[in-house]
Amino acid sequence: MVMSNRWWELKIFCQPQAEDLVFWRLDDFGCHGTASELKGKSLLVRAYLPQADVQLLDLAALSIRLRQDALVADYPSPSVHWHLLDEEDWASSWKQYWQSQVIGDRLLICPAWLDSQAESVGDRLTIRLDPGAAFGTGTHPTTQLCLESLEMRIPPGSEPTVADIGCGSGVLSIGAILLGAQRAYAVDTDSLAVRATAANRDLNQIASDRLIVQRGSIDEVAKLASGPVDGICCNILAEIIIEMIPELFELTRPKGWGIFSGILLEQAKPVADMLEEHGWIVATLWKRGEWCCFNVRKS
Amino acid sequence: MAKKVVALVKLALPAGKAAATPPVGPALGQHGVNIMAFCKEYNAKTADQAGMVIPVEISVYEDRSFTFILKTPPASVLIKKEAGIDKGSGQPNTEQVGTITTDQLRKIAEIKLPDLNANDVEAAMRIVAGTAKNMGVAITD
Repeated sequence: MVMSNRWWELKIFCQPQAEDLVFWRLDDFGCHGTASELKGKSLLVRAYLPQADVQLLDLAALSIRLRQDALVADYPSPSVHWHLLDEEDWASSWKQYWQSQVIGDRLLICPAWLDSQAESVGDRLTIRLDPGAAFGTGTHPTTQLCLESLEMRIPPGSEPTVADIGCGSGVLSIGAILLGAQRAYAVDTDSLAVRATAANRDLNQIASDRLIVQRGSIDEVAKLASGPVDGICCNILAEIIIEMIPELFELTRPKGWGIFSGILLEQAKPVADMLEEHGWIVATLWKRGEWCCFNVRKS
Repeated sequence: MAKKVVALVKLALPAGKAAATPPVGPALGQHGVNIMAFCKEYNAKTADQAGMVIPVEISVYEDRSFTFILKTPPASVLIKKEAGIDKGSGQPNTEQVGTITTDQLRKIAEIKLPDLNANDVEAAMRIVAGTAKNMGVAITD
């Protein structure tokens, strides 16, 4: 039987001034981050620990520590409570608000939990998607910009090979295949993303030798493709894209193209400078909200 | 028309490492916020501060859209950085793990002032000094 993950949720009601002190004690105890909100004149701080990592006695000791800290700092004693929380309680809670979404001129993203037949729109190609814990839901401007760019880069009958660096949910690789790519190589350093991409590939009934997913980065694509690819899409972070630009150039055929996003407008200039410095020609820069997407080519 | 804020949530997270696990998942999932979209934006805006904890205050609106502003790092994180230590003391009354000077204390207080319930730097210094004391970090002149 597969056991779901469970977490201890700690709730600490304290004076707002004691927030940093409470944060320190929780951080010191091993909590990776806190959530807090005002409740009347008190501050409610929530922190979480995997159930397997702590015992009830540990939590009791933490509670005593928090009270001692308040006493030393001359704050009123906080009240501390804890209970177990199922991971499923929140992982799916926002999905109920997620609907099918048309992208560009040819694509439609349909959540896995909706009926794709009922949701279809005209002759649009439907990407079925269950994003899980990986990035790439289709609602983010950068995902939309990348998919619209793929529409432009993959006209019917072109059949390019595509590398998807930082594939997340696999939405871009799946979009590329549906648009007509011969093969997509999807890589991500996050194992959750690799699993999500494989699951979404199966959900869209794409053969595993047409959308090849592997944990890793550019090196992995070079091995999998045994040579350069026609196009690259990379929707991650500006800092990482800047570091990768020289290698991405090597990974692409002489007349190849690239789609780079996950870049804030304020980060566009250093990315553009780096692209041009390494031989890429910036064909278009698309903007949506505070995000942008580079469409580049080699010649 | 201005959108109505239905929730104001503050998260203290490692810069560049927000994910759909706690505390982000439970805090935002209950308000119907697209958790992955938040994580992506937060990570993009904090990636250059890796190693720090950067709190973020998120306003959730009626249509479940959201905006957020980044806040100053917790005092304990700044104290550890100034004192050059990785961890506070388990027994602050008896075990001192580091020191910071009054100037360093003032520097931290000035950074923290916009986010503290303090009217001036001196009041902020007293709050930060209280945190340092509990961490086993002494203040020297």
